[in-house]
Amino acid sequence: MTPAGLEGVLRAEHLDAGYGSVQVLWDVSLEVRRGEVVALIGPNGAGKSTLLRVVSGLLRPRRGAVTFDGREITRRTPEEIVRLGIAHVPQGRRLFPDLTVAENLMLGAYARADRAQVAGDLDRVLALFPVLRERLALPAIQLSGGEQQMAALGRALMARPRLLLIDEPSLGLGPIVVQALMEVIGDLRRGGTSVLLVEQDVGVALAHADRGYVLETGRITLTDRAEALLGHAAIRAAYLGLAVGDVGRPGSQDR
Amino acid sequence: MTPRTFGLGALAAAALAVAVAFPVFAGGYYVRLATGIFMFGALASAWNLIGGYTGYPDFGGAAFLGIGAYTTGILMLRAHLPFAAALLAGGALAVLAAVGMGTLLLRLRGHYFAIATLGFMLVLRQVAANLPITGGGSGMNLPIASAFTPFYYWMLGTVVLGALGGAIFPRSRAGYAIAAIRENQDAAQVLGIEPLPYKILAYASNALLFGAVGGIYAYWFTFIDPPTVFNIDFSIQAVVMTLLGGPGTALGPVAGAIILKILDTILTNISLFLHNVFFGALVCLLIIFAPRGLAEVLRRRGGIVRAIRAELEDSRV
Repeated sequence: MTPAGLEGVLRAEHLDAGYGSVQVLWDVSLEVRRGEVVALIGPNGAGKSTLLRVVSGLLRPRRGAVTFDGREITRRTPEEIVRLGIAHVPQGRRLFPDLTVAENLMLGAYARADRAQVAGDLDRVLALFPVLRERLALPAIQLSGGEQQMAALGRALMARPRLLLIDEPSLGLGPIVVQALMEVIGDLRRGGTSVLLVEQDVGVALAHADRGYVLETGRITLTDRAEALLGHAAIRAAYLGLAVGDVGRPGSQDR
Repeated sequence: MTPRTFGLGALAAAALAVAVAFPVFAGGYYVRLATGIFMFGALASAWNLIGGYTGYPDFGGAAFLGIGAYTTGILMLRAHLPFAAALLAGGALAVLAAVGMGTLLLRLRGHYFAIATLGFMLVLRQVAANLPITGGGSGMNLPIASAFTPFYYWMLGTVVLGALGGAIFPRSRAGYAIAAIRENQDAAQVLGIEPLPYKILAYASNALLFGAVGGIYAYWFTFIDPPTVFNIDFSIQAVVMTLLGGPGTALGPVAGAIILKILDTILTNISLFLHNVFFGALVCLLIIFAPRGLAEVLRRRGGIVRAIRAELEDSRV
């Protein structure tokens, strides 16, 4: 059913979505190909998180379609979408605060049918985030911000996703932790997992992405390869605080 | 099995053995008192499933108690069914009602859910007061049982069922899903946990126990009318007992029921007025000083003892 090669793993087409009488997304189309990290950038309130909620089935779009592996998933429930291989790391980490780190991670595998392999996957997640191994028996609320973000990412990985939706991983974290998270995301991509990354820190996001989309007031205004976007005058001025001629290595310290 | 859960299990088994033998050596008054304690222990355990583990503050448990009581009464009186069969039907109908109402109400959260469940209970009270088959406002007299000790064992059965449910629930696959839903429903959903079926499971288990207690209560008291069984007091007592003992723990609600019922009995004997004041004051004190119940207080004290011991050992070096 899924053609090989560059066929889009995820494709969103002409999405309109919103809450109540407020429309947030207007005719949004986007594609994440297999093994690609795609950054979704844009100002607060542009609709980035809303787009992720539509993809993971938490919000029904008013118009448009989402397909994954060529299969339409627009009207499916979040539970079905997880089973198809899309895991969502929500903004603000959303761990289960009173449950232990181990319980949080294991709950990530809740929807899986192949339970025999879950223990091995837990080992792999703990190898990605060794600090979590020492914290397994602690309630999640006692973790530091960086550790919580690692646990949230680890929990999503326990679902063995082929596409990861990550919402603002750098929120409230120091540059060293952000760097470590981005390296893990790079590892995942090399392992064949596609990533749709929503990120406020445009420098960080574009430095680690293949391609990027700019979402402004609910519309996609620009899309290109990540390096090209980093050099784009409007992006440099609006998000990186750099004038067109400025020399600077892209990254969080450039802001 | 940790030493702690093993200790608790052994304690519960010993308590059960004493409870089974109790009517042999205790007088009628004490057997009746214990029957009442079991009844509320079962209600508190039931509420703990939906209110404690799932975090949905149900105030309409009496709706299911009433359904159980009236179903049992009607089937015994009008269909001449034996008590056990009528009771089973009462429990089953309570579960059906919970599945139906739960499908609607469990989409609400927090206060809205609490008020809606209360409303559901009040609607049923009005219905019972106006149907010919229930005897309307003048109530219903059930056949009088030949012996009263069996009610002790029926109620003991419900409280054991409730405590077992409370012990098994958090260790089951469904229990983990319910914990995730309680902690953060949106996060649970993106992990592939569909909240509604699990919430209905907890709500229906709660209804089964309320319904069974209602059926036993009706035959035990031999008279029911709408305000007696569709009575919010059952829910409030179950909530306070659970909060006292420890919501989200297996034996906390039962412990809460034992403590409160015994204190309540002593205080009622001293003064009818005082016992209500006491009840209100206790609720306030609980929420201020031990919002997670006695189980948490005991655990915390254990923690303090361990901390002091560790401190002493450090200073010795």
